[in-house]
Amino acid sequence: MEIQINNLNKSFDGKKVLKGIDLNLKPNMSNIILGKSGCGKSVLIKLIYKLIKQDSGIITYNSKEEVDINKFAMLFQYGALFDSLKVWENIAFQFINEKLKPISQLKEEVLDIMFNLGLDSENIDKYPSELSGGMKKRVALGRALFKKPDVIFLDEPTTGLDPLNGELINDLIVKVIKEKKITAITITHDIKSALKTGDQFYYLEDGIIEVSEKCENLLKTQNSKLNSFLKGQV
Amino acid sequence: MVFFALVGKLFLKLFVSLGKIILFIFLSFKYIFYPRFYFYLNIKYFLRILFSSIPIVALTAIFSGMVLALQSYTGFSRFAAETAIPKIVVITLTRELGPVLAGLMVAGRVGGAIAAEIATMRVTEQIDALKTLNTNFYNYLVTPKIITLVVAMPILVTFADIIGVYGGYLIGTLRLGFNETVYITNSIDFLSFNDYFSGIIKSIFFGLIISLMSCYNGLYTSNGSFGVGSATTNAVVSSSILILIFNYLLTELFF
Repeated sequence: MEIQINNLNKSFDGKKVLKGIDLNLKPNMSNIILGKSGCGKSVLIKLIYKLIKQDSGIITYNSKEEVDINKFAMLFQYGALFDSLKVWENIAFQFINEKLKPISQLKEEVLDIMFNLGLDSENIDKYPSELSGGMKKRVALGRALFKKPDVIFLDEPTTGLDPLNGELINDLIVKVIKEKKITAITITHDIKSALKTGDQFYYLEDGIIEVSEKCENLLKTQNSKLNSFLKGQV
Repeated sequence: MVFFALVGKLFLKLFVSLGKIILFIFLSFKYIFYPRFYFYLNIKYFLRILFSSIPIVALTAIFSGMVLALQSYTGFSRFAAETAIPKIVVITLTRELGPVLAGLMVAGRVGGAIAAEIATMRVTEQIDALKTLNTNFYNYLVTPKIITLVVAMPILVTFADIIGVYGGYLIGTLRLGFNETVYITNSIDFLSFNDYFSGIIKSIFFGLIISLMSCYNGLYTSNGSFGVGSATTNAVVSSSILILIFNYLLTELFF
């Protein structure tokens, strides 16, 4: 799905967070939105997902303003798993609620996805509080992938993980994007993760897209703002 | 100028909050009748609310009934009107103390828990996650709690009435020397359906107040764990104050 953004603006309590964003997110590619904390990255993806409304500007999805958000899925920064539900109930949440498939079939499909994400089947009946940080992230990724989205939004996928688990999540993201041929929109300030998982990056600072380039050119940038961000990161 | 700007800001904030509450109440009622319905959540919450509230409601009611009988005796014995004690106990409990005490206890026990649960879901992005999973949070989180509390409160109040009257009976018969049969007859004969009914109507309103205030404070929270604490406190305080205000208004109505 191609997502085109024109002159997007958003303010909170009079403070402008996004100032006339123009973006063209290519289909079946991994798009990375880089930026410091508080620069408006999360707001941007929530606007694209239609979780919040913009003040002005247009977002089109395959040239249409309307979109079925069932084609989208999101991996939240800290997983946002439902504490009172078991792992399999979290992963198949939407399908259980909408009674789309029999429970036995859902459980089979959950086991398949857990296997693909490297999660032991014995975790299926555990609660999120019984899982490690890395496992929680994988369950959250499983929940996002379970609905077979056209576009997946990844909010700081490696935040809060140790380097080993961070690498694991990065590998899984690369595998998923390639295998499922979906559009990925990742917001991160983790340069390693961006280089590993991204095709195209956009650097956001003070509500403005400062740089738009291929990820392979990220470290060769001449942009002073991005350079100072990278120096603080790498 | 600064003073006027401050007053203006304060009023603006007040109207924004008022608008938010009105919109929240409107949407909450709308989604009671608007699918998708989660009946299993109603049953789950109903059982949780009932079983978690029964012990504290029972404790509050029995001791209040006992104190009421003792205090009534102190006053009524001064003009030889001790026989009125069973009547006073039963009327005070069914019309006032049962609904108000149960309401305040449920506001503290259940309202606080609801606000904390929803506020935690808000700050950990679980509410956003619900939206991404095509789930309306009013249907999933708010309306089941409203329905459950509106149904559970009359049951809890009936329970509080019975236990409270039993507390009065215990003091009346064991401590004040009333004949058991006379006490029971005096209590039942004097009680009219309106006494009980007014308490039940109050309990329905209190259930609405507790569920709406708890869900509202939980949903509109921010500032991480500090916000969760504030949401819980605000839910309990606002529910308790509104219960006392509405108790007066409803008493005027049934007077």
